[in-house]
Amino acid sequence: MDTARPESGDVAVAAPGTAGTQAPAKRRRPAPLTQIPSRYSIIVVWAALILFYSLTEPSFLHVTTFQAIFNSQEHLVFMTMALLCTITIGEFVDLSVPAVFGFAGTIMPVLVVNHGWNVWLGSLAAILCATAVGAVNAFLIVKMHVNTIVVTLGMSTLLLGISLLISNDNTVSGVPASFQSIATKDVGGLPISFYYGVALVLVFAYILACTPLGRHMRFVGASREVSRLSGVRVDRIRFGSFVFAGLISGVGAIITVAFVGSFNASSASQYLLPVFAAVFLGTAIFEPGRFNPLGTFVGIYFLETGVLGLQLHSAAVWIEPVFYGAVLVVAVTISTVLHRRVT
Amino acid sequence: MSVAQAGAQGNGPDRLEVADVSKTFGSARVLRGIGMHIAPGELHGLVGQNGCGKSTLVKILTGVYTPDPGGAITVDGRELSLPVRPLEARAAGLAVVHQNLGLVDDRTVWENVRLARYQAARFTRRIDGKAERAAVAAVLARLGANVDVHERVGELSAEDRAAVAVARAMQDHQDGGGLIIFDESTRAMSKRSRGRFFELVRGVIDGGASVLMISHQLEEIVEVTDRVTVMRDGLVVETGIATKDIDEAGLTRLMLGRHLGTQNRVDSVATPAPAATVRGLNARSVRDLDLDVRKGEIVGLTGLVASGAVAVAEAIGGARSAQGGTLTINGKTLHLRKRRDSSGDFIAAGVAFVAERRLEQGLAGEMTVTENLTLPRVKKRGGRFRTGGAWQAQETAAMIKKLDIKPPDPHKTVGTLSGGNQQKVLLGKWLAGEPELLVLHEPTQAVDVGARADIIEAIREAARGGCGVLVSSVDAADLAVLCDRVLVFRQGKVVAELTGDMTQDDIIHATFEPAGDAEADAEHPAEDTELNVKGVAR
Repeated sequence: MDTARPESGDVAVAAPGTAGTQAPAKRRRPAPLTQIPSRYSIIVVWAALILFYSLTEPSFLHVTTFQAIFNSQEHLVFMTMALLCTITIGEFVDLSVPAVFGFAGTIMPVLVVNHGWNVWLGSLAAILCATAVGAVNAFLIVKMHVNTIVVTLGMSTLLLGISLLISNDNTVSGVPASFQSIATKDVGGLPISFYYGVALVLVFAYILACTPLGRHMRFVGASREVSRLSGVRVDRIRFGSFVFAGLISGVGAIITVAFVGSFNASSASQYLLPVFAAVFLGTAIFEPGRFNPLGTFVGIYFLETGVLGLQLHSAAVWIEPVFYGAVLVVAVTISTVLHRRVT
Repeated sequence: MSVAQAGAQGNGPDRLEVADVSKTFGSARVLRGIGMHIAPGELHGLVGQNGCGKSTLVKILTGVYTPDPGGAITVDGRELSLPVRPLEARAAGLAVVHQNLGLVDDRTVWENVRLARYQAARFTRRIDGKAERAAVAAVLARLGANVDVHERVGELSAEDRAAVAVARAMQDHQDGGGLIIFDESTRAMSKRSRGRFFELVRGVIDGGASVLMISHQLEEIVEVTDRVTVMRDGLVVETGIATKDIDEAGLTRLMLGRHLGTQNRVDSVATPAPAATVRGLNARSVRDLDLDVRKGEIVGLTGLVASGAVAVAEAIGGARSAQGGTLTINGKTLHLRKRRDSSGDFIAAGVAFVAERRLEQGLAGEMTVTENLTLPRVKKRGGRFRTGGAWQAQETAAMIKKLDIKPPDPHKTVGTLSGGNQQKVLLGKWLAGEPELLVLHEPTQAVDVGARADIIEAIREAARGGCGVLVSSVDAADLAVLCDRVLVFRQGKVVAELTGDMTQDDIIHATFEPAGDAEADAEHPAEDTELNVKGVAR
């Protein structure tokens, strides 16, 4: 799972015989034993959580539980990856991700069901709209230098309003069953949409770790001036990141609509906290103190495991927010402290 | 101006006494046994190169940093608890005026002066504006400054802004007490504002307060202060030198030291072939500058603050906007104009710019040595879908070996390295691209002696490889051992051109003295004469 694997050979080439005796290299392998707990602590907690639930609630240890965990979170996977696009380049507060997702998710069934469009054409239109919103964000933030919070907060409220308008504040259902199979097709016990999420995360992780584009994105996030003076097209990369965030949100929305078969415009706004929670929780996994796709992916399913297990114990409404909030604060605090110690 | 000082010295305690204060960050000792005395009513100067520890000392005095155990800071005979508690320091009369004066432009004069001191009414918790304004007006009157307390600070002139900052610093002073530290406060002021500002400072001193003035403007230090303390590499080199016994050149020598004679000049490797040609460069105060750098030639650019030397280096390196001019390298011509989205054009043409502020412009501290070192080439040398590990490992290993980067770990994050090793990574980042023109800005600033020798050797090696080199630096010792030719700037013009064997003293001399004394350059007599005439005319 270590994103650095393709380059781990560097150590042996460049510093023969020193790797074992050096102070801990922060990000790359070989990681000294002392660092494993911090990198993989959430995984250990995750395992402990599963063990605990299994012992206290025997029904937890059933294949349907795992299906419930792994087939219900694709929308979060797509939204968190969209958010990571802009976080990686140093824009920490793109609040519009869930709203763009909801916008695309509303347009598609409205066009198809209410206006009789071809379902593929409707999907394409929805994705294009989401991408266009990303481009508008990019234009305002990168070219006009408007504050990111203001632009994305305003955009998110605006899009929610438009979504409610075009859907008449109703849940729009009736997406053709043939189209739904692009998301619901069973592959090895899980819907195919789960694998779309896995593929997206892996591609994103690969881009960040192994391509010049990813390297440039990381540097833009670390320091715009250093990047500019090193020949990186800083504004182009920032612009592109916002556009891609829109594109990923749009595609995620279409897959979610296909999976569920319907969409309610007002449902999107509730995703804001979980999306940020998972992305920040990801900084405690694999690469301490750094936003990373694989950590985020694990974070999503870790949170879902915890919530589901608690709900088996008791169905109270308060469980989910309490768990989300507590885990987020505790995990990110630990990751911040550890990161400070390493650097 | 030394009357108050002379009268106060000897009787009674010092206004400020710093004894044996040290500061260690991790493994780096940035201050070692600092000791200095400031008498009541004294205007004391503190000078030293960037990175010598001046600002660390100020941060200890104001309680931002905790000093290592063992030192003592005493104000008027009373020892302060360490770390310094800001409120205690304020009660003792210690105040700092920072570089940007620390004013909120959007607020009025009285709000700025009383910030963090507002007195609220007991029940309503309302600020009594009338009383506050009266207090501020009284302080301003004591300073002899004619500023309306209702004015918005953003609309004031530079000297009035300074007056507001000074008023804020001295409002708590008892009569005949207090110490104001001016940390580069005059940097953004015009010459005329400075004159007014010093009158103001003198007024403060006549009231019995002491002043510690930190400045890069040696001229003003010599002119206005009574005594001066010089720091270098975390040590106090000399303290309490009367400024009537020393001039700017003498101070510069103390600031730079002799670097223990680790470096000697070597023979020039300049060839007749041109490496880079600059024509008609306009940047900042510099007008229509022509500059030729030959392959293998090392050219120094130096001068006092705002002389134009830095602007030229940054414009040619692609870091700063220029208002016009061309740069020709290998037959390719770049137009020097406003700042661009990326230095890609410069890099493609073969320019490498080693920036001064290494963690702001040069390197990303959170990324690894390899990632930083290979960044400018990662797109060109890597595939579209692959950065490729082998060339990066090779390049990094070569630079670690060549520059002796320690520890030799290519995956260490740059932020955890010492200053000298960061500078080596930065230099390696650009040398690995085998540039045609290497532009360096203060390449040895705040690095230790060993790193300095490695860096100088690496620059020479680049020159031997046929690269043209431009070094912008105020470090005359570096320029003297490195350069085949040194251009001395003043007010945007080249006022002297030194060639051949030169010493540190020659360069310092040319920097401070009128241009007529500088050695004539035998190779460009016409150009040199013209420049000299300009210099004298000013």
